[in-house]
Amino acid sequence: MPSDIENSDLSVEKKSGWKMISEDNEIDELNSQEGKIQEQYVIGANGYPREILPEIDPIYDSDTSIEDSINTVGNIPMEWYNDYPHIGYNIDGKMILKPAKGDELDKFLDSMEDPDTWMSVKDNSLQKNVRLTDEELEIIRRIQLGEFPDPNYDPYEPTVEWFTSKPEVMPLSAAPEPKRRFVPSKWEAKRIMKLVHAIRQGRIVPGKSQVQKPRFYNLWSDNDKPREDHVMNLQAPKMKLPENDESYNPPEEYLPNEQEKIEWENMDPDDREKNYLPKKYPSLRTVPAYDRFIQERFSRCLDLYMSPRIRRNKLNIDPESLIPKLPNPKDLQPFPTSLTLSYDGHTSRVRKLSIDPMGLWMISGSDDKTVRMWEITTGRCVKIWEFKEIIHSVAWCSDKDLCAFAVSCLNKVIVISPMDFSDAKTVDSTVKFATLGFANIEQNEKKVKLVEWQKPTEDEKSQGFLVVLVHLHNKTIKDINWHRRGDYFSTIASDAGNQSILIHQLSKHQTQQPFRKTHGLVQNVMFHPIKPLFFVATQKFVRIYNLMRQELIKTLQSGVKWISSLDVHPMGDNIIIGSYDKRLCWFDLDLSSKPYKTLRYHTKAIRNVTFHKHLPIFASCSDEGFIHVFHGMVYNDLLQNPLIVPVKVLKGGHKVVEGLGILHCEFHPTQPWIISSGADHSLKLWT
Amino acid sequence: METLQENVQIQVRFITQQRKYAVTDSVILVPISLRRYGLSEIINHLLGFEKPIPFDFLIDNQFLRTSLSEYIQNANLSTENILTIKYVESLLPPTPLSTFQHYDWISSVKSHDQSLFLTGSYDNHVRIFNTSGECLKTFAGHQAPIKSVSWISVSDENVTFLSASQDQTIRAWEASLIDDKYLTLYECKGHKGNVESISLHPSHTKFASASWDSSILFWTTAIPEESEQEILEISSKRRKLNDRETKVKTPIAKMHGHVGPVSSVAFDINDHGKMYSGGWDHSVRIWDIESTTNFNTKNCDKSVLNIAYSEKSGLIASGHSDQVIRLWDPRAKGTLIFYSELLDLLIISII
Repeated sequence: MPSDIENSDLSVEKKSGWKMISEDNEIDELNSQEGKIQEQYVIGANGYPREILPEIDPIYDSDTSIEDSINTVGNIPMEWYNDYPHIGYNIDGKMILKPAKGDELDKFLDSMEDPDTWMSVKDNSLQKNVRLTDEELEIIRRIQLGEFPDPNYDPYEPTVEWFTSKPEVMPLSAAPEPKRRFVPSKWEAKRIMKLVHAIRQGRIVPGKSQVQKPRFYNLWSDNDKPREDHVMNLQAPKMKLPENDESYNPPEEYLPNEQEKIEWENMDPDDREKNYLPKKYPSLRTVPAYDRFIQERFSRCLDLYMSPRIRRNKLNIDPESLIPKLPNPKDLQPFPTSLTLSYDGHTSRVRKLSIDPMGLWMISGSDDKTVRMWEITTGRCVKIWEFKEIIHSVAWCSDKDLCAFAVSCLNKVIVISPMDFSDAKTVDSTVKFATLGFANIEQNEKKVKLVEWQKPTEDEKSQGFLVVLVHLHNKTIKDINWHRRGDYFSTIASDAGNQSILIHQLSKHQTQQPFRKTHGLVQNVMFHPIKPLFFVATQKFVRIYNLMRQELIKTLQSGVKWISSLDVHPMGDNIIIGSYDKRLCWFDLDLSSKPYKTLRYHTKAIRNVTFHKHLPIFASCSDEGFIHVFHGMVYNDLLQNPLIVPVKVLKGGHKVVEGLGILHCEFHPTQPWIISSGADHSLKLWT
Repeated sequence: METLQENVQIQVRFITQQRKYAVTDSVILVPISLRRYGLSEIINHLLGFEKPIPFDFLIDNQFLRTSLSEYIQNANLSTENILTIKYVESLLPPTPLSTFQHYDWISSVKSHDQSLFLTGSYDNHVRIFNTSGECLKTFAGHQAPIKSVSWISVSDENVTFLSASQDQTIRAWEASLIDDKYLTLYECKGHKGNVESISLHPSHTKFASASWDSSILFWTTAIPEESEQEILEISSKRRKLNDRETKVKTPIAKMHGHVGPVSSVAFDINDHGKMYSGGWDHSVRIWDIESTTNFNTKNCDKSVLNIAYSEKSGLIASGHSDQVIRLWDPRAKGTLIFYSELLDLLIISII
């Protein structure tokens, strides 16, 4: 502490001295100033010249930490310097010599003579007594009195209340107490249940005395019990069994030749395929001790404890490999790919469309009570027939030599021939064919009348009406389906009980009721394209009847909730059904009565499914406004299952109106085109 | 979506098939923010023409209608790669001079010396217009929409022409340009379906018609003395009325070959012995007129909706249901030489 004062004094002196020097310089020649400055270099501790820089005058009150003590040896026991004449080194590396020290008598005399002895202490680093300052004496005095050393410290300052002790009127957060503070914790309950379960199973025994395990045990003893079976216990992998070439007498072919031996020797041990060379011994007696035994045991132990064993529950299978290999849709062309034409004109939803067997004309029936005829390639509406009720179904006669179609309107089915759009011969034969039956009406009088075959009025005749069939059950006809020959057609009125399916013969004006009773609501019927079979789709089942023998052949269980539509492959051995619960089922009739494939691609109810007449494509349309086009190849080979590949989703044509999208779709009979009719009052052609 | 910085540059190479506008095929750095106009300026600068010529640019056969950066972003291309840009001289779309007002759809138009226009309409009428858009004459007679029209001869006073209709007939008309008189020269009967297309032989003595009944019929333009055909058993009364007045003509030859509807016929103007036809059966057929045989058939994947023969190049252009125009060389063994993918609808007509 006294060194501080001395130092400060010294610094002042030094400063003033330097100042004096500089003043002298100013008085002397200015030119010699450089030389003077050069002279202020001294040889430093490292032997290089050190510039004496002007003393820094700290403005703030000098602190001990920035003042360098004269002695630079540091905080070491000064006894180390007892045998030396010096007590350390100054900043320039020069020795600081011990101050002259008198004996005890001198000390005593000094203490007697010096009145300040009582207030001086020995500075250990300088080995001499220094006098304490008044402030330091004051601190000592205060400590002795048991007071705070700093006279300015006020121990009774007013407290700052960081956290108030008074309750607030309004709380900082007005959130209500959460429920979790009042209900028992679920996770705690789970944890407890786990423990209870463990206790019940006997894995935890409460109050079980801890059996002291022996501190050391025989690691290599043979009487180890196999571990109890436990989920977490994983068996160590077994060691590889020795192979043939490890035998002491291996067959000749396993023995390496000289070159292979040299190669093996030169190879890095890590790169070797096997860590031994097959060797042949004449007898078991001559086999030496296994030289690599210790090494092998060691590496086995390393294997056992260095590599953690884990049970993998997740199978490492590439998901791509699970997807069946399907041909590229590009190779399966042709199929419709883009929207080409829109047929606009209807003012309400278009329920049904039908394309004539030649593929030139199309008719559409709509809720606006009109049937319109369109030219397919141009989108031109060429004729409009107006009716009094909603048109539920339209269907072209499938005979190419006739030119007629049937329209269902309430309980009527009207057969119409668009006379202006066919040549005179065809029209003539069509009219003859359809009206010939009026002659034998009287013959059918005896039977129970199901349908009245009426002649159209003159006005209707001019519009091309040929026959009007009035169904006497007075229920709405939902659908019309023609037999492939174009003579018979069936009508469905699902509410009409046992008369829900009727089969009409156009040439003779006869009507048959094929079923005494029906099972469930009839959704759709279809004639087999080749055989005298008849498909009836009710809500969940498709029944196949033989019309010749009048018997049920097969019942197909679809597994869907509500069948919406049905179509038969042109070969007749496969059928597809669409359902309101988004599914499309493909049945192979030779295979089983369950679906061969069930496809769920649509997100909304499927309205219609349809096959192309010649090409191996089929399509389904749904309420979401999309048409899904599939490649459906049926092979003549009975052993080969049909190939079904989704090839195209036709989007963006129809708008969804009141939850209804596309109501019907039909393929063009010759081209790979599809025409769809939607609830947005339009029909679209996709090519 | 990250947006490309506007100051990025991209390496492009300009190519063209128009030789007079060819520029160096070395790679040029251009700012990515350029649009058609900017690129056009670059080409004009490279060509050094006094008067700038507007150019249009195609990348991957698609016209550039956005800025380069938007195109690159939409097509997910890298700005590091060299972009090859094709350019063609930009042509202004034709401006309408006058309009020919119709009550219904127009199915066919033929001009004569760019002064008289013959139109066939879906309202069953054929009309003649002059260049100022006035309807000079209207011809009624067909019972169904007209599908095709063709001039036979035009003089200062009289015009003769043919019209084909969906009522399965072709009518030849003669009209005077001076007064209002017109008459049907004859009615051609023989088709059993819509007559889709008629084409006049360059010698003006014969013509061919294509129909949906998959046949091509061959007729002479000579006016018959009296009806050649015994009247069919006609169901419609209206037809009978018409048949009293006009003479009926029968075909001189029938050409069968197409499976399904025939959509179009065209004569070879250079070689008068040849005729071309296109049908829904995906084929373009080449016929020899003398022997009425089909000696060559060119097939493609899509239905042919219309064909046209070019006198200058000797090529056939065909319009298809897949929104593509295909060009064929009838002399070559090979089939297709070019196809374009620019259109959005069924191509029903090419002139």
